[in-house]
Amino acid sequence: MKVLKRIINSKYFMVVLWTVLIVTIWEIFAFIVQYTKRTPVNVLPHLSGILESILSTKTINGSQTALQMVLVNAGATLSRAGIGFLIGTALGFVLALLMNLSGTVEKVAFPYLMLIQMIPVLGMAPIILALTGDIGTSRTVIAAILTFYPVATNTLAGFKGVQKEKHELMYSYAASKFQVYVKTLIPACLPSFFTGMKIAAPMAVTASILVDTLQGGIGLGCLLSQSLKGAMTRYVFWQIVLLSAIVGILSFVLIGAIEKKVCPYNQKTKG
Amino acid sequence: MLSMVDMRTDVEIMLKDIGMTYKTSTNTDVTALTNVTMNIHKGEFVSLLGPSGCGKTTLLRIIADLLTPTVGEISVGGESPREARLKRKYGIVFQGAVLYDWRTVKKNVMLPLEIMHLPKKDCEERADKMLEMVGLKDFAKHYPRQLSGGMQQRVGIARALAIQPEILLMDEPFSALDEFTREKLHEDLLRIWRKTNKTIVFVTHNIQESVFLSDRVCVLSPHPGRISALIDIDLPRPRTVEIKSTPEFTGYVAQIRSSFEGI
Ligand SMILES: Nc1ncnc2c1ncn2[C@@H]1O[C@H](COP(=O)(O)OP(=O)(O)OP(=O)(O)O)[C@@H](O)[C@H]1O
Ligand SMILES: [Mg+2]
Repeated sequence: MKVLKRIINSKYFMVVLWTVLIVTIWEIFAFIVQYTKRTPVNVLPHLSGILESILSTKTINGSQTALQMVLVNAGATLSRAGIGFLIGTALGFVLALLMNLSGTVEKVAFPYLMLIQMIPVLGMAPIILALTGDIGTSRTVIAAILTFYPVATNTLAGFKGVQKEKHELMYSYAASKFQVYVKTLIPACLPSFFTGMKIAAPMAVTASILVDTLQGGIGLGCLLSQSLKGAMTRYVFWQIVLLSAIVGILSFVLIGAIEKKVCPYNQKTKG
Repeated sequence: MLSMVDMRTDVEIMLKDIGMTYKTSTNTDVTALTNVTMNIHKGEFVSLLGPSGCGKTTLLRIIADLLTPTVGEISVGGESPREARLKRKYGIVFQGAVLYDWRTVKKNVMLPLEIMHLPKKDCEERADKMLEMVGLKDFAKHYPRQLSGGMQQRVGIARALAIQPEILLMDEPFSALDEFTREKLHEDLLRIWRKTNKTIVFVTHNIQESVFLSDRVCVLSPHPGRISALIDIDLPRPRTVEIKSTPEFTGYVAQIRSSFEGI
C-alpha cells in the first residue's frame, strides 16, 4: 500500500499516466480508422508510422528528409513566435504599469485592448502584413499582439490585487512612488505576470502557425497546409502536430521553471 | 466623566472635536465619529474599546494620517498628522500581519528601513535586534508562510518597531489569535512597551484585553461613534496574567461592561 501511494504521489506518475492514456486512445482510434473505410483514407496513422517517418533518412523534396524540413520551418515559425512573445510580454508589462499609474491611460487604453483582442487572428494577419510589408515581421507582430493582452490584463490585475494595508504601510513609511512600485507592487504582481505569460506562450505559438497557413512563405503552417493538400507525405503533417504540442508544453514548463526561480516563495512546499 | 481640561504638558496626541462623516456613493452619508476630544500622553498606553462599527478604526486612521477628519483639530507632538507621518513617527500593526510573502522574516523587518535608505549594515543590525526583542531570532531566514499566526503577528510588531516610531498604532492586532497565544503576546507587548517607552494606541473590542494592557481605556459607543467613557486603569505594573483574577481587575471589567449597557 505504502509503495503504491508513493508511486501515485510521485512527480512522474501523472506524466506517465497521461502518456500511456494518450497512446492507448490514439492507437485504438488508429485501428478503427485502419479497419473501417474512411475518406480521406487513413487520416489517423499509427504512432509507429509517425515515429518511423521521424527517423527515416529518405529525402522527400530532393534534399531534405521530412524531419529536416519540419525542423527548418519550425525554426522560422518558433523564432518569430518567440521574439513576438518577448516583445509582447515587455510591452504588456509596461502598459499594465502605465495603466496602474494613471487612471486616464487605463480608461483610454482598455477599450483598444479589448478591440484588438476581438479581431480574429486571420482577420488581423492581412492588415498587419499590409502595415509591415514583410511576412516574417508581420508574423512576429501578430505573436506580440496576442501575447500582449493576457500579459497586460493579468499584470494589471496583480497590481490591483495588492492588499490595501500594504499600500497603507508604504504610505506610513513615507515611501516614494518609485519605492512603492519597486518594493511592493512589482514583486507582488509577479505571480499574475507569470500567469499571463503562461496563457500567452502557447497562444503565440499556435497563432504563428495559423498565420503561416494563410500566406505561404517559410514556416510550419505553410508546410502544414501543403501536406494537408497532399503535396507531401501526411507524416509531415503529424510531425508538425506533435512538434507543436511539445513546444506548447515546453513553453509552459519553461515559464513555470523561471517563475519558480524568480519567486520561490510562491511555491507550496512542505515544512 | 469626560475631562475636557488637560493640565499635563506631555501631550503626544491632541484630538479636539473630531468628527468624521463618510460620503458614500448612494448619497447616504455615514457619520462614523462625532465630538471626539481627548489627549493621549507621551508613553501612555491607551485602548480604544467598543463594539463593531463604533469608529475605532476610523479614529486610529485619522491619527495615522490615513484619513482626514471632516471636522475638528488634531495634532501629534505639536504637528499635523501629515508632518508626523513624514517624520515616520508611526508604527502601524494591523489585524492581519500583512507580511510580504516574498521576503524572509528578517527582510520583512528590514523593509521600512530600506525605504528610509538606511545603510544595509544598520538595516540588518536593527532587524536582528527587533527580532530578538519579539523572540524570533531563530526564524530570521524563514518565510512568513512557515510561521504560525502568532509568530507572524510578532514579525508585524517587530517591523512596526524597526523604524523606531514614537507612536505605535495597533488595530485589533491579536483578535485573530487563540487565547493562549494572545496572553503570551500581551505580556510580550507590555515588556516591549516598558523597554521602548512608546505611546501606544490599541484598538480592541475585548474588554479584558483593554483593561489588562492599558493605562486608560477610551470607551466608544456607536451611532454615531463617540467617546462614552474614559477610564483610568489603576492597576500596578508590571502586570502578569495573575492580575486578571484580582477584584480590582474584575471591578474594572464590570465597570466598563456596565458603561455599554445604556447603548
Ligand atoms: N470607507 C468607508 N466608507 C463608508 N463608511 C465607512 C467606511 N469605513 C467605515 N465606515 C463606516 O463607519 C463606521 C465606523 O467604522 P469603523 O471601521 O471605524 O468601525 P470599527 O469600530 O473599527 O469596527 P470593527 O470593530 O468592526 O472594526 C461604520 O458604520 C462603517 O460602516
Ligand atoms: Mg475596525
